[in-house]
Amino acid sequence: MTSALQQRGGGSGYVGRPAPSGLADVVEMILDKGLVIDAYVRVSLVGIELLTIDARIVIASVDTYLRFAEATNRLDLYEKGGKDLPELMEGLAEGGARGKTKGALGGAKEKVSELIGGSDDDEQPRRRPRERSRQGSSSGSTRRRSRRSEEEDE
Amino acid sequence: MTTAVDSWCYVFGVVPAGARLNPPGTGLSNRLRLVECGDIAAVVGSPPTDRSLGRASDLLEHDRVLADLAAGGTPVLPMRFGAVLADEHAVVDELLAVHEQEFRAALDAVRDHVQYTVKVRYVEDVVLREVLADNPEIERLRRAGYGDDEATFERRLGLGELIVRALEARRPADAERLLDELGDAGEVSFRQLAAPEEVLDAAFLIPRRDAKGFERRVGSIARRHQARLQVRLVGPSPAYDFVGSG
Repeated sequence: MTSALQQRGGGSGYVGRPAPSGLADVVEMILDKGLVIDAYVRVSLVGIELLTIDARIVIASVDTYLRFAEATNRLDLYEKGGKDLPELMEGLAEGGARGKTKGALGGAKEKVSELIGGSDDDEQPRRRPRERSRQGSSSGSTRRRSRRSEEEDE
Repeated sequence: MTTAVDSWCYVFGVVPAGARLNPPGTGLSNRLRLVECGDIAAVVGSPPTDRSLGRASDLLEHDRVLADLAAGGTPVLPMRFGAVLADEHAVVDELLAVHEQEFRAALDAVRDHVQYTVKVRYVEDVVLREVLADNPEIERLRRAGYGDDEATFERRLGLGELIVRALEARRPADAERLLDELGDAGEVSFRQLAAPEEVLDAAFLIPRRDAKGFERRVGSIARRHQARLQVRLVGPSPAYDFVGSG
């Protein structure tokens, strides 16, 4: 048994391996899932400050759109003498696509680590009803679900 | 009401009374103990009193304690990170006693089960080529330079929006196909997708005895679709996505 942090490939080389952003998987799970009760309110009652806040950030759809527009531009560059398709496929086979998904996808990952890296914003702890929604497909806007947890050196 | 800070209880989760705890760790779990109430118990530790709660080490310790319990076969209801109660009496009176029935039922539901989370994204370059091939208008705009750095903001925005819409339109069929291929995999909890390139983010509650089989199935699906989908498997983990909201 492994913790959420550790991901295993089930004997297959194609399922993702532990990512450098492993903390992001843990953070996503333990901040967004799990049993929620009134106890959360007590956090403030006893006077302890909870740094974990709802940083459910709505990345402006603008950013998302620009990312993808730029990504097609990059495809164009490949065609003009960058990678050809066979080469690309080869890379996919060995790297589980990880190395090839920079660009638009990479951008999202970096956002998460920036969040985890922390900033000084403190907000009140809050409760949020948990969702179990199926395939939230928003047309147009893209919501990014993540929270911010502060990590500061003492 | 004020209480002594050293009586504060950080609550990791709920387990059957008498559960075997792993040795205490550091930080949140350095005074790891059970607070029992009838058949059930809370796994509690001590929150920091000289600094705020929520550092990376706190998050990791929360996960580690719960994962260790689950790994040992103990049914566990993981709390969402951040639950602190004033003292052990409050753990009994305000958490365990008032929810005893539902916690017992929930523990039965996760007993002998583990959670796996399957996260699937499109391989960007590949899916973009598909989108371009299937959408002449998008391809036309791209060739007209709407994606160029020098293109006007409006043009880039317009092109990007069309692509995002096209990705979202592709998603349901791909997600359905993956779910079909996974077959009857037990209880599923779908998470909201965060980005256009995501195809599926779903948690599965799998009987422990079927865990290896599930891993193998996900592995073979990942292999089958590797050219256009990136599949990640997280777990086995405690059933974070399958405990009620209390």
